[in-house]
Amino acid sequence: MASKRVGLFVLLQLVVLNVVSQTSAFPTPTASADDKTVYNRQLTEERPLQEQIAEADSVKAAVQSAESKQPATSKDAEPEQGDDFTMLKSLADGQKSKEAPEGPVKKGDHQYVPDESDSTKSRRLADDYDSTKHGMDYDDPESFRQVDGTPLTAEDIVQKIANKIYEEDDRGVFDRIVSKLLKLGLITENQADTLEYQVAEALQDLITKNAKNNEIEDMDQESRGEQDDLGSDTDAWETPRRRYDEEDDDEVANNDDDETADEVDRDAEEDVDNSWDKEKEEGNEVNPEDGLQDLQYFPNFYRLLKSLDSEQDAQERETLITIMKTLIDFVKMMVKYGTITPEEGVSYLENLDAMIAMQTKNKLGKSLVVPDISGLTGKNFDEDDNTKSETAKMQKEYENLKDSTKEEQPSTETNQPAKSETYLEAIRKNIEWLKKHNKEEGKNDYDLSKLKDFMDQQVDSYIEKGIIAKDEGDTIKRIYSSL
Amino acid sequence: MKPLFSSFLFAAAALALAAAASTGTEPGISFEYHRYDELRKALVSVWLQCPTITRIYTIGESFEGRELLVLEMSDNPGTHEPGEPEFKYIANMHGNEAVGRELVIYLAQYLCNQYQQGNDTIIELIHNTRIHLMPSMNPDGFEKAASQPGEIKDWFVGRSNAQGVDLNRNFPDLDRIVYINEREGGANNHLLQNMKKAVDENTKLAPETKAVIHWIMDIPFVLSANLHGGDVVANYPYDETRSESAHEYSASPDDVMFKSLARAYSMFNPVMSDPHRPPCRKNDDDSSFKDGITNGGAWYSVPGGMQDFNYLSSNCFEITLELSCDKFPNEEMLKNYWEQNRDSLVNYIEQTHRGVKGFVRDLQGSPISNATISVEGIDHDITTAKDGDYWRLLAPGNYKVAASAPGFLTVIKKVAVPYSPATRVDFELESLMERKEEEREELMDWWKMMSETLNF
Repeated sequence: MASKRVGLFVLLQLVVLNVVSQTSAFPTPTASADDKTVYNRQLTEERPLQEQIAEADSVKAAVQSAESKQPATSKDAEPEQGDDFTMLKSLADGQKSKEAPEGPVKKGDHQYVPDESDSTKSRRLADDYDSTKHGMDYDDPESFRQVDGTPLTAEDIVQKIANKIYEEDDRGVFDRIVSKLLKLGLITENQADTLEYQVAEALQDLITKNAKNNEIEDMDQESRGEQDDLGSDTDAWETPRRRYDEEDDDEVANNDDDETADEVDRDAEEDVDNSWDKEKEEGNEVNPEDGLQDLQYFPNFYRLLKSLDSEQDAQERETLITIMKTLIDFVKMMVKYGTITPEEGVSYLENLDAMIAMQTKNKLGKSLVVPDISGLTGKNFDEDDNTKSETAKMQKEYENLKDSTKEEQPSTETNQPAKSETYLEAIRKNIEWLKKHNKEEGKNDYDLSKLKDFMDQQVDSYIEKGIIAKDEGDTIKRIYSSL
Repeated sequence: MKPLFSSFLFAAAALALAAAASTGTEPGISFEYHRYDELRKALVSVWLQCPTITRIYTIGESFEGRELLVLEMSDNPGTHEPGEPEFKYIANMHGNEAVGRELVIYLAQYLCNQYQQGNDTIIELIHNTRIHLMPSMNPDGFEKAASQPGEIKDWFVGRSNAQGVDLNRNFPDLDRIVYINEREGGANNHLLQNMKKAVDENTKLAPETKAVIHWIMDIPFVLSANLHGGDVVANYPYDETRSESAHEYSASPDDVMFKSLARAYSMFNPVMSDPHRPPCRKNDDDSSFKDGITNGGAWYSVPGGMQDFNYLSSNCFEITLELSCDKFPNEEMLKNYWEQNRDSLVNYIEQTHRGVKGFVRDLQGSPISNATISVEGIDHDITTAKDGDYWRLLAPGNYKVAASAPGFLTVIKKVAVPYSPATRVDFELESLMERKEEEREELMDWWKMMSETLNF
C-alpha cells in the first residue's frame, strides 16, 4: 500500500513537472516582438540621437555647399538673406526699442502737476504705468530735477508748458497735455482749469518779455541756441518741442499721437542731454545725435540732408525732415494699432529710403504731381505746398517700386471697407445654404439663435488664438445679430 | 485733402473691380496672391461660408510670430471620428514657392463652394475624410519674397524661414537611421525616439519645423502632400540616397504604392503628365521623370526633408509636388495653375481611401491602440491610432496582413485588395493572459478528471 502511494506520489510529481514545463513552453508569439523592442532601444534611443544630429549637420553643410538643383549655389544666397534679415531685424528692433522708454518720462513730468509735495510718490506712479521703464529714467537729471537737484515744482511745469506753447505758437500743446492727464486720471477737471489759468498767465508774461527782447521766433532747430536763456533745465523740452512742431501737422487732439511722439521723444531726449553743448557749437550741422535718431536708418535721406547745407536750402531741409518724421510716426502708429505689421512698416520705410536715393539726383521743388493714393500716407499735409509735393513725389515713386504681387499699402486700407463685405458675403452664402439644405431635408426652420451662439463662441475662441482680429470678430458678431 | 480722398476712393474701386474681374470661371474665388493678413481673411471667409464643415486652427507661430494657420474640413470638424482617415496638404514651406500656397487657399474655397452646390463627390469626400489644409508653413519667407520690388522674383529670396533655415532640410534625418536598420536589423518605422530631446530641446529645429513635427505626432495622418515650385513633377520617397551619392534611385518599402500615389496626382495635371514637356530650364536634368513622377533620390538627394520624415516617424505617406517652373510667377498665371491642378488636388485626397483599413480590438471589444499592422513582403509597419483604427495604403494585390500588440497573440489575415475603395479588415486579438487563463482552466479540468479517476 505504502509503496503504491509513494509510486503514485512520484507519478504525480512527474506529471506536475511535465505540465509545468509544458506551460512554459506554450507559444508566446510576442516574445519576438519583445526582443525587437529591446533591440530597438539600443539602436534608436542610445545611439542614433547624437549621430543623427551630427550627421544632419554634416549632411546639411555638404548639401548647402553643393546644391545641384539650383543654377547658383545656395551659399551665395545665404549672406544676402542674412543681410536682409539683420537689417530688417535691426529696423524692427529700432522701432520697438524706441517705443518702450518714451512714455514714462512725459507722464512722470506731468504727474507733478497734481502732486507737488512728494516727488517720490509720483515717481512710483510712473513705474506703475510703464514696466519697461529703464533705470535710466531715475538718473536722468533733466526730467525730474533741476540742475541743482531739486525736484521740479508745479510752477516749473506751468512755466515749461507756457514756454512750449509760446515757442510753437499753438495752444493745441496745452490741450493735448491736459487731455492726456485727464485721461490718465492724474488731474481732475478743476485742476485742469486751474492749470489753464496758470499757463495762460505764464504765457502772457512770456509774450511781453520776449516782445521786449525782440527775439525772432524760429521754428528751425537753430533756435536751440537761444534756449541758453531759459537755462539748461529746459533742455529736456527742446527736442520734444521740435518734435511737436511736426506733431502739429498730424491730426490733432489725438492722445495717441502724443504717445507715439513721446515714445520717440525719449530717445531724442536722452541724446540731447548728452550732446547738447557740443551741438550748440556745431550750429546748423545736422547731427545724428540731436534727435534724428529715427532717420539714422535712412542713409540716403541723410545724404540728401547733408547736401542741403546752404542757407537757402535750410527751409527745404527742415521740410524734408518734417516729412520724414511724420511718415515715420505715421508708420509707427499704424503698426501700433495693428493696421499693418511691423514688418510691413519696416519694408515700407526701407523702400522709401531706396526711392529717396533715386530722387536725390533731382532737386527739391519739382512741380506738384497728382498722387496715387496709398491709404498709408493719406495724411493731412495742407500747411505747406512744398511738403505736399514732396510727399506726393515720394508716394508716386514708391508706387513704381512696389512689387507685382499685390498693391500692399492700398489693400490694407481698401480691405478695411471691403473686408466686412467679404465676410458679409460669406455669411450670407452660409445662411442661404442652410435654408435650402433644411428645406430639402424636410427639417423645420434652422435654429438661427443656436447658430448665432455657436458662431459667437467660435469667434471669441478665434480671437483668443489670434486667428481673427478683435474688430473683425465684432463685425462678424454684428452681422449675425442683425440677421 | 479733397483730391487725395477722391483718388483714394478711385483706387479702392479700381481694386475691387480688378478683384472681381479675376474670378473668371470659378465664382467666389479670386485668383490673386494673398499676403499673410489676406490669407488669414480668406480662410476666415471660407469658415464663415461653411461653418458646419470647417474649422480654423493654428499649430504654432513662425519665427516672426505669424500663425501657422490650418483650415480643417470634415463633416465633424474638430474631432477625429474613429475610422475616418486624416489627410493634409502643406504648401509654401519654401516661402518663395508661392503657387502651392495660393492653390491651397483656392482649394479651400472650392471645396466649400462645391459642397454647398451639392457636388456629390466633394460631399462624400468631406464626410468620409478629415482634410487639413495649411496654405503656408513659412509665412515669414513668403512676406520676404513677396516684398521684393519688381516683377521678377529672386530664386532664393524668401526660400528659408526668418532665421535663414531651409525648412526642407531641417527635419531630423531618419533616412540615415532606416538605412542602417535595413542593413543591421531594427525598427522599420516610428524612428523618432524621445520626442522631448530630439525635438523640444533641439536648438537646431526652427519653430516652424517643431510645430509641424508636433502636428504630425498628434494627428494620425494617413496621406499627405507637400507643395513646392521650381519644377513640375510629383516626387516620392526616399529623398535621400542610400550611398550618399548625388543621384540614385532610392526605393522605399512602399515604392509600388508611392508610384501609384504620385501618378494619381500627375495624371490629372496636363502639364505634369505631358511626356513631351520640355524641361523648365534648358540644362535641367529631368531624366528621372516618367509619367510626371520621380523618385526623390533619383532626381537629387535631399536629407532632412519633411516628406521622408513623415514616412519614417509616423504612419503618414507623403509625396512632394512641384507645381510650377517659375517659383513665384506673375499673378495673372495663378488662374492657369488652378485649372491645371484642381482635379489633381481633389483626386489625390481621394487616394486616402485605398488599401486596407479597420479596427484592432481585444476580445471584449475594447480598442487596442498602438497595435502593429504589418504586411508580409513590405518592410514598413504602421500602427493603430487611439481608437484602435488603422489605414494601410496598398496597391492592388493579395496580401497577408498581421495585427500584433504586446501581450496579445498575433492574428494574420489574407486580403485581396482592389484599386479602391479600401477593404475593411478588423482584428480581434486574444491577450496572452486570456490564453494562459484558458490553458490553466484546461489544466484544472484535466486535474479534476485525473483526481476523480484515481480517487484522490
